[in-house]
Amino acid sequence: MKSQASDQSSIAKVSSTKRFFRTMIQQKYLYFMSLPFVIWIIVFSYVPIWGWLMAFQNYRPRNNILNQDWVGFQHFIELFSDERFYLVLRNTLAMSSMGLIVSFTVPVIFALLLNELRQQFFKRTIQTIAYLPHFVSWVVVSGIVTKMLSTDGGAINDLLMNLHLIDEPIQFMAKGEWFWSIVTVADAWKETGWNTIIFLAAMSGIDPELYEASTVDGAGRFRKMWHITLPGIRTTFMVLFILSIGHLISIGFEKQFLLSNPLVNDYAEVLDLYALNYGINLSRYSYGTAIGIFNSVVSIILVFLANFIYKRVTKESVI
Amino acid sequence: MSTQKGLLNQRSVGDKAFDTFNIIFMVIVGVVTLYPFLNVLAISFNDSVDTVRGGISIIPREFTLENYKTIFAYDTLLTGLRNTVIRTVVGTLIGVFTASMLAYTLSRIDFQARKWMSPLFAMTMYFSGGMIPIYMLMRHLGLIGTFEVYLLPALLSVWNVFIVRSYIDGLPLALQESAKLDGANDFVIFWKVILPLCTPVLATIALFIAVGHWNAWFDTYLYNNQKPQFTTLQYELMKVLQSTSTGTNYRDQNAQQAIASVSPESIKMAITIVVTVPILLIYPFLQKYFVKGMTLGAVKS
Amino acid sequence: MKKVKLGLSLLLVMTMLFLAACGSNNNTGSSNSGSNTNGGEASVEPMTIRLASGDANPQWDNMQSDIGKLIKEKTGITVEQEFPVGGSDADMFALMVASDEYPELVMPKGNVNKLVDAGALIDLRPLLEEHAPNIMKVYGEYIDRLVYSAEDDAIYTLPLDGVGQTYFDAGGGFQIQHQVLEALGYPEIKTVKDYENALKTYLEENPTTEDGQPRIGLSLNGGEWQILISVTNPAFYATGAPDDGEYYVDQDTYEVVMHYQRPEEREYFRWLNHMNDIGLLDKESFVQKYDQYKSKIASGRVLGIIDQDWDYAEAENALKAEGKYEQTYANFPVTLDENYKDASFMGTGYLASYGIGITVDAKDPVRIIKFLDYLASEEGQVLVNWGIEGQHYTVDADGKRVIDPEYQDMKVNDNNTFKKQTGIGNYFMSARYGDGVLDSTGNYYTTNFPDQIIAQYSEADKKTLAAYGKTVYKDFWPSDDEFEERAYGAGWTISFDTASEANVIFQKSQDIMKKYIPQAILAKPADFDKVYDEFMAELDKINVAKMNAEYSELIKKRVEMWSK
Repeated sequence: MKSQASDQSSIAKVSSTKRFFRTMIQQKYLYFMSLPFVIWIIVFSYVPIWGWLMAFQNYRPRNNILNQDWVGFQHFIELFSDERFYLVLRNTLAMSSMGLIVSFTVPVIFALLLNELRQQFFKRTIQTIAYLPHFVSWVVVSGIVTKMLSTDGGAINDLLMNLHLIDEPIQFMAKGEWFWSIVTVADAWKETGWNTIIFLAAMSGIDPELYEASTVDGAGRFRKMWHITLPGIRTTFMVLFILSIGHLISIGFEKQFLLSNPLVNDYAEVLDLYALNYGINLSRYSYGTAIGIFNSVVSIILVFLANFIYKRVTKESVI
Repeated sequence: MSTQKGLLNQRSVGDKAFDTFNIIFMVIVGVVTLYPFLNVLAISFNDSVDTVRGGISIIPREFTLENYKTIFAYDTLLTGLRNTVIRTVVGTLIGVFTASMLAYTLSRIDFQARKWMSPLFAMTMYFSGGMIPIYMLMRHLGLIGTFEVYLLPALLSVWNVFIVRSYIDGLPLALQESAKLDGANDFVIFWKVILPLCTPVLATIALFIAVGHWNAWFDTYLYNNQKPQFTTLQYELMKVLQSTSTGTNYRDQNAQQAIASVSPESIKMAITIVVTVPILLIYPFLQKYFVKGMTLGAVKS
Repeated sequence: MKKVKLGLSLLLVMTMLFLAACGSNNNTGSSNSGSNTNGGEASVEPMTIRLASGDANPQWDNMQSDIGKLIKEKTGITVEQEFPVGGSDADMFALMVASDEYPELVMPKGNVNKLVDAGALIDLRPLLEEHAPNIMKVYGEYIDRLVYSAEDDAIYTLPLDGVGQTYFDAGGGFQIQHQVLEALGYPEIKTVKDYENALKTYLEENPTTEDGQPRIGLSLNGGEWQILISVTNPAFYATGAPDDGEYYVDQDTYEVVMHYQRPEEREYFRWLNHMNDIGLLDKESFVQKYDQYKSKIASGRVLGIIDQDWDYAEAENALKAEGKYEQTYANFPVTLDENYKDASFMGTGYLASYGIGITVDAKDPVRIIKFLDYLASEEGQVLVNWGIEGQHYTVDADGKRVIDPEYQDMKVNDNNTFKKQTGIGNYFMSARYGDGVLDSTGNYYTTNFPDQIIAQYSEADKKTLAAYGKTVYKDFWPSDDEFEERAYGAGWTISFDTASEANVIFQKSQDIMKKYIPQAILAKPADFDKVYDEFMAELDKINVAKMNAEYSELIKKRVEMWSK
């Protein structure tokens, strides 16, 4: 009896491995089409991870990586005990969350509105113009923004004074609390046109028959947007959104740096700038690496968490 | 009859109002987004000393072609242009191909390796070993001082893979099934069936990849600064653009001289124009691929 | 068409992967060609060397200028320069150390310790003693100042500052427009009160320009890194202290504090606070970008600035180009009150600060040092300062060198082209004498001497100076011999060891300073002390005392080393 049962299970085991290999051969083309990239990514993305060891040492460039002073978690402890770290973390998360929300609502709305334009030429022109600011560097854009918000002949203050909404010019760029909003709006101005491209592409993939059918059913344009267009781009939207959540913490620092000044620095300094100032610029490679690891770990956790929630709700997975 | 007509009329009035507002809105958007670019253009045609006075909006105050003449006098620019064009064209073709192929394999729910392969790729978007290990890797692979260093590490963009995959997910399965019934293998399905249907998203990522290659200069700086024959357009222009943003070591004469004789604002603007105009011309060219809808003849049959 | 394209690209991909797998090994060696090893006579075989310079030089001419070509001919050496691209010099050298690959020559500025720690620089002493007589001559008795530290007596860099430098003019101090001085009858501008009154009086009488633009009393360049030059450095100059970086060093005990910890400087910032209170200070001072600051100056509306001439030169040139000379600036050494003396020119002896070094990756250091030695020779120095005889300058009947008028004109009015075309100013790569030193022909080594300086003054400058009975602006400053030379040179040339915690404390102190100083200046006068006290408390909290003590030690060591 026993032998028969074990025979059966071993037969089952054998056939499951057999099945595995059989499927592999069946799907050999899929493997050919993907395995080279797996090798590539292991080489270019995973192999360099050995650099993370630096975070646990007092890395000095002169010596080989294994020949260093090991200090365990000291750098991480130093990082988490630095008041400034929490300040820059707060700033980073605030600005990136605001940016995330804005960059996933405004471009979608803009794309919807663009789609409603009947004149093709006009539509194409506006599309092209709208993405121009993406190519203008932040150096230039920050200069323009600073000038527009200045109290010395700045366009915004002039406008507000002419409309008698205020008596005296407001020094926008000096107010720390406004900084996050200014950065978000400037970013929207610069990037909305560019961000719309992907949504427009997704919208053009929707079956026009769906629209035709709904017209017959008497649906107005807003109904169409709500029931056809938005659901039609849902996958793309969700994929981009969830993947973007992973970038909440590591957003670079160029625009914040350029738009900031000593008066608002407490609101403007972000994690990446902190890493530059206290890490590589002081030759503290280990400290910089520790911050990098922190970033990566948090990013991955955020993404997988977001994906998990998404999976729970919709049974689909982005990753 | 009359009510139906009335209904139609009502819709047109509401529609018309919406359309009008939409057009006005778009015009405002157009103006607001065109402004920074026109501003840069205007300054680039403005005399450099006059530019310091500020206050130029969209028309140059003292027109001059000097700034452009200065830039084009750099003969290294031509080499840079050549290299940048090559890497953009080749890099885009490669990038679109690789992203779409991998996206297809990962879109197949029945793919055996999907469960581990997908996260394997996804995670790489969020970490990096750091500049030192990457530099050493390039050195071990013999990529320092080569042209391939522009193409090989950028072979695949995982971000784009997921964008394309989400698009493929939106395509009806029936298409693939019908092709399979015809006896096609996976590569053929990818090549002949999926790819043609993905033109909008392929055009999109082609744009992203092209812009990425066109604007790249940091890799030139890191790996190829000893190889002038591999220089890129942006790198050359970055060199001209050098702004002294140090702030720490300003006390010696050299630094002070550098600050006093910095590349004028107007030249920086001319550089911006020279670098962005070519790439701007790509989008209108790609726009025709954003064709609405797709042929569903294949499904119907 | 698309199919063909895609098919081709597939082929390309496969090829790439194949090549990568086989480890394509394009040569990564340096572009050094034909280095000779016999080390005897200096050969003229062509050799290319790379120089990484921490300062950007948009006028670099790639050896194509008049001088560049001559140097190449004489020495066979082609120098390829690299500059910080898209970042600061700190980034550039940090990256260099990280990649462990060095060009033959480096000018690392303040990043020397990074390179020394990484073992990137070679000890130049043996090379100097054997192959570089000219360099040794130039440094003369100061050769010991080139030593790296008390523990490491190697010479890693050759300082590029001119030896024996005499300053003939002053580029700093407090600036005030000529038209203001004229309108007020050229009053005395010695204290901050004088300065304030001058601005106040003129502003009250002339609140706007002819085209109705509001005038601004004092505008500070405080929105970017120049806050150091325009806001905080003047604090020590105005209270009798010299430039020792962010520190104040007691000349007797060598005890150190951060200069803003001095009570005298608190009073200086209080004055700025007062200026803000009465509306004389530009409200945008801490918000404006460098461009905005320059354009304000170029519009002629700003009556007074506190800056260094090289920082506002571009803006002043715009004014000059329009002929608005009366709106350009005169400069004065303003102090907090009559008791202080502006110590801008307190002696330092030879500073031996930022220099040029040869790296371990240089294949032929002997040839390179000989090249540098040529540049340091009398012939070389005259070449890089004056140019080529007969072309850029002539020698008159008395044996005096005279710059060709055409080139002189270009130098003053189109300096960028001048530099790029002639190459003068691009080849200061070796030891050299500073202003005021005469060569064997009785001419100055450099082109900065009193006659030259006066020749470059505008009519407005001359008029103003004449009204005060001075010939150059430096005449307003206390004469050099009113101060004793600092035994340690200058504080800002001393840096902490890379691994020291003091570096982190310093960075933190700068973050704090940049937050509190503007706050203090813009606060209501009644709150000034409260804010400043908080500033001091924050500094104590991060333990600047520890950093100050460490710095004090370094200064003492330097004094010991240099007094041998």
